[in-house]
Amino acid sequence: MAIAMASRLTGFSRWALAAPLMLCLSLMALPASASTDEAKAFVETVSEKAIAIISDKTADKAKRESDFRALLAENADMDRIAAFALGQYLRTPTDAQREQYRELVETFIVKVYVTRLTDYNDEKLSIFGARERGENQAIVQSEIRFTNGREPVSVDWWLIKKDGGYKIFDVNVVGVWLAQEQRSAFTSVIRNNGGNFDALLAHLSTQIGKAEAGELPDVASAN
Amino acid sequence: MKFSFGNGKAARRFGCVALLTLAALMAAPAQFAHAQDTAAETDPENDPLEPMNRYFFELNRFFDTILLKPVATWYDGVVPEQGRDGIRNFLDNLRSPVILANDLLQGEWDRAGTTASRFGINTTVGVLGLFDPAAGWGMPKHSEDFGQTLAVHGTPEGPYIFLPVLGPAPPRDMTGVVVDQFFDPLTYIYWDRAKTVPVTRFVVNGIDQRARSLDTLDQIERTSVDHYATVRNLYRQIRKNEIANGQRDFDDLPDIENLNFDTNEPNSPGMRF
Repeated sequence: MAIAMASRLTGFSRWALAAPLMLCLSLMALPASASTDEAKAFVETVSEKAIAIISDKTADKAKRESDFRALLAENADMDRIAAFALGQYLRTPTDAQREQYRELVETFIVKVYVTRLTDYNDEKLSIFGARERGENQAIVQSEIRFTNGREPVSVDWWLIKKDGGYKIFDVNVVGVWLAQEQRSAFTSVIRNNGGNFDALLAHLSTQIGKAEAGELPDVASAN
Repeated sequence: MKFSFGNGKAARRFGCVALLTLAALMAAPAQFAHAQDTAAETDPENDPLEPMNRYFFELNRFFDTILLKPVATWYDGVVPEQGRDGIRNFLDNLRSPVILANDLLQGEWDRAGTTASRFGINTTVGVLGLFDPAAGWGMPKHSEDFGQTLAVHGTPEGPYIFLPVLGPAPPRDMTGVVVDQFFDPLTYIYWDRAKTVPVTRFVVNGIDQRARSLDTLDQIERTSVDHYATVRNLYRQIRKNEIANGQRDFDDLPDIENLNFDTNEPNSPGMRF
């Protein structure tokens, strides 16, 4: 079952069927409002920048990571993402631990997603719907269509307003919310170490160290 | 997934047990849900057998490393893409009766029509299922299983269970795997015969699926702070998405509006999936 699951991660066929249907539904149900236009424009800009960063063949890994970090700092609500990933352990860290956690989690996310996004270099994102969620949130639905005929990958963006403009809170790729996946792993580490927050910090450092040492595939070699 | 029954008698006994379990699950979704709610208060991941599950998880990983992954890598490198696609199409086509039964049990008449048409077209025009012309004619493949059917009718997943070989198999989905055997004509064709064909199907299916997810699984393993917990969460999210047939439910998302490090609220409630 684990194997079947993973293959579903890579190739989602039903989306091809669902996408036109949902497009029609969203066009009928949601008259284009100023706010959803703003959300769509935001996602379009950010995704273009992200794809440009990972597709830049002249940049080395460090350059890609620092560009991606800057992009996230500007366009993602990193505080909220970091808080969400702690789940019921949000109040566990001391101030010092929290500072260290914020540092580590940002580095970790940059390294993980520069790696995971490698698949999508030189591809284009098509936005096909958006809806508001309360006053401050919006969901934008899009898909990545591959030039090589691979089945399209659905990507939903969960945005929340901060300081007047939209920021990314979470991204759903073929049905999987990434922040929820992250939280599941983070809380599990803390729980399995008897609520010891330092265990999470140690795990994060180890993963980042592995990435530094090149155990994570370099974008260039994966191209 | 294919079970090979030793003999007909054992198979029937197994079937009885499965159907009783099923009846119990279907009859008592309310109590079950309640039990799950109370369990969630103490264990937000609903994984009471976690130590055992982790042991089996590592066991599977060990056998994956020494056996399945090398074979899948070899298969991926040696068998040309057309060959692998043919094998995949053939195996998917063989599963059509199971998908059809579950489409019908879920009241998904359009999808049932698609499944039946696909089977007809791909078995004939597609040369016994080796090709998938139906997908090109506006009938893309989809999957269903009895675990999803139970979920559609309100049965909760139950506690997380990870089994050797099979992987994630919480009670609802495990029941689904067993019941699906009875929707499969091959089960009856090979009821009292040698199980070479069903076993071969199970093994080839496993190798092909592993070969198709070599990169994805490597990436998940390398980018997780807790591999086991990540797989558990991915399994649940992916199942949820499959049960909803890919329709997103954005009303079901956790509340993040007041979430930050500085609020003086008590610890946020255990948000669980």
